[in-house]
Amino acid sequence: MYTLDVFRPAHYNVQMDHRPQRLTLDQWDRRYAELKSAGLREPCYGGPLRRHYDDGDLRLAKLRMDDSPAALRLWNLLLSEEDRLHQARAGGKRLLGAMKDLGTVPVMAYALDNLAAFYVDGAWWLPCLMENQTGMLELADRYGIDESYCPVRAMLGALVSEAHFPVPDLMTCSVGATCDDVASITGRLTELGFDILWWEMPHRRRPEPGEESVTLPGGFYAPRPQVDFVRGELERVGAALEKLAGQSLDDDRLAAGIARANRVRRLLTELRRLAYTAVPCPLPALEMLVAEMLAIHFCSDQAETTAVLDDLLAEVQTRSRAGAGVLDADAARIFWVNPVADLRAMNLLEDAGGRICGSDYMLCHALDPIPEDLAPMEALARTALADPMVGSPLDRAARIAADARRFGAKAVVLSRIPGASHCGLECRLIGETVRRQLNVPVMEIEVPPLCDGLEQTLRTRLEALVETVKENRRR
Amino acid sequence: MTAIAYCNPFVPPEWIAAHGLRPQWLRPRAARGESAVALRGVCPFAAAIVESLDVNGPEAPAAVVLTTTCDQMRYAAALQSERETPPVFLLNVPRMRRTESARLYLDELRRLGRFLESLGGAPLATDVLCETMVRYDRARRVLMRRRGAMSAREFQAAVAEVREDFIEPATQNVGLGATAGLSSSAERTVGQANRGTRRNTPLALVGGPLLRDDDERLDQIERAGGRIVLDATESGERTLPAALDASRLRTDPLAELARIYFDSIPDIFRRPNDDMFEWLATETARRGARGIVVRRHLWCDLWHAALPRLGERCALPLLEWEQDGEGSKAAFATRIEAFLEMLGEASEVQTVQ
Repeated sequence: MYTLDVFRPAHYNVQMDHRPQRLTLDQWDRRYAELKSAGLREPCYGGPLRRHYDDGDLRLAKLRMDDSPAALRLWNLLLSEEDRLHQARAGGKRLLGAMKDLGTVPVMAYALDNLAAFYVDGAWWLPCLMENQTGMLELADRYGIDESYCPVRAMLGALVSEAHFPVPDLMTCSVGATCDDVASITGRLTELGFDILWWEMPHRRRPEPGEESVTLPGGFYAPRPQVDFVRGELERVGAALEKLAGQSLDDDRLAAGIARANRVRRLLTELRRLAYTAVPCPLPALEMLVAEMLAIHFCSDQAETTAVLDDLLAEVQTRSRAGAGVLDADAARIFWVNPVADLRAMNLLEDAGGRICGSDYMLCHALDPIPEDLAPMEALARTALADPMVGSPLDRAARIAADARRFGAKAVVLSRIPGASHCGLECRLIGETVRRQLNVPVMEIEVPPLCDGLEQTLRTRLEALVETVKENRRR
Repeated sequence: MTAIAYCNPFVPPEWIAAHGLRPQWLRPRAARGESAVALRGVCPFAAAIVESLDVNGPEAPAAVVLTTTCDQMRYAAALQSERETPPVFLLNVPRMRRTESARLYLDELRRLGRFLESLGGAPLATDVLCETMVRYDRARRVLMRRRGAMSAREFQAAVAEVREDFIEPATQNVGLGATAGLSSSAERTVGQANRGTRRNTPLALVGGPLLRDDDERLDQIERAGGRIVLDATESGERTLPAALDASRLRTDPLAELARIYFDSIPDIFRRPNDDMFEWLATETARRGARGIVVRRHLWCDLWHAALPRLGERCALPLLEWEQDGEGSKAAFATRIEAFLEMLGEASEVQTVQ
């Protein structure tokens, strides 16, 4: 138990004794009323979570969510994105859809005053959130992108139907060392009349003897010619953004944008450190997954993302100092690889007695600070090349093993994304590396957009993994 | 001679041969069911390639060159690099056709050259490269002249042949080696397949690379009354490089090599890839194809997504060929027969009208 007054984020003025816990949607209704009567102040997109359910986000009724005002703000930011994008356009902002882009082009876009960038691929969570009531997957089927593709195919349905987010004024997409799913889906989009500005991301290779080697954020290396090539590609994208925004993306402006992005990254780094190491676990896996995703696109609002993360970090710091948490202190420490298409999977792990103690949701490079002591475009090029997914999967496996060791993981879950072109061999390579280097149990699961049909199986497997970890601990 | 294995048409065999090594085009059989790489979600062709490299003895290649043209092959390269032999070289083939991309491709060829030298290959000599390029170009011209006389299976074998070291070592006779090779290849397979006759239904074969096991399906197509007038698979004529330009060759042979491969081969992985659909529409019409058989490996996202556009752009009926393995032989026969029957009926209706 702790007094929330210990921490008082700017937007809240709440004072009550409270034990943190995960709440159902029904419980959140009561919690929201309590918070409001206690003087909760919210941003413009605030409100009860129930309204999102009423608007079609049916999955909320199957989730258990953290009960803090900070988590409420996080969920409201996530679930209000479509509305905010419409408002941004109505307010005169130009919209950029950044596809297959884990944290590069949005940094450039938010360096300009009148652009709002969003992650079109983020539509992959809509079938889950709306429990397949959107018709987006069926629409993707109709255009030849069936269930043999990753659930990111929902973005095709979302763009064609225009039923969710507005069609962006400009869409960019990286190609090259990227997944074939998005390459195919975006290719199909161009056939359907959507203009896409492609930019090439070469497969990151190791520098050869005698070749200039460039150290990338996160510790990988790339040869100088590849960095130069990517910088050239980003300059081309930058020119398109300048045209869209009607504003010059000069070095000063870009440097300031990088500094703002780094603030988000630093907040997330500290949030992860505390949330993944404090005992008991101070923030549930579900909220951490959503928070980490903010790093790549800022959920269409960089300033609000910063504020949301400020609140979450303050909450976690308060809980940690008070020794308060949402899970049992003896929860099994699990490292999770890849994001899940069904958010409920994160609840299942915790229900089974586990906790997330580290993660690679395919965006860990977006948490590394962008170098601020380099020419801004050079720094961004290095950051883009630092994506573990654009290099050998063995590089990614090595980073996962190192992070899992650093966070003290006692088991690793490899969460396959159904249909994703990288998952077939990647999970085998990562699994072998982790077993070899860490000697901990590794479990491979697959999480579809709605895992209800597999829930019992998933639950049983996760329980078995947790039991194994606890048994190993007793030995 | 030291063999360098490869399986993607963006790897120029001339480049390997000009370094004094033997290019070896891989036409693998399907991976066995119990294979460690035949996993759910893994492209059967990528799995077959990895399994085919698990060999020892004098026939084993000294190295394998794989490419980044599809995600699954990138991961297969990583898997292969975990093994001790043969070493793998991953050639970065850009998706886009921009000047900078072409420069990147050229840099990659130079890097491949250094890799080949590290395996005992000869340092590149410009005159040797030019001679080698001319030899391969001539062989491809011979191949295309003879194309009409070959069954689908023979053509696949002959295309593979011009991607290998087809020069008879004893004579080093420019051009003749290819002709002789093609002739003997044709003779070997005569009688094994029922060549299509003029009366048979003209079909285009489009899609990804064929496995060696697919030869049997090609025979089935011809036995059922089909005739492949266009083999536009990855292992067919679509991915043969453009003809050499003599003056460009004299000026800058390496740039000409990049032009005939990187700039000219229409392929599904390019962005944008309109030129491939344009090429397919032109060629299917020019050769009078009445239907398209699309070879798509399970989990191949790129070709799967191409199906709707292929149908729209070429305005021809499609038959998707996804099966593999012995068990699907009867099912394939039924499907191809039904497809040809449907095309035949459509043709009769057209004639009556």
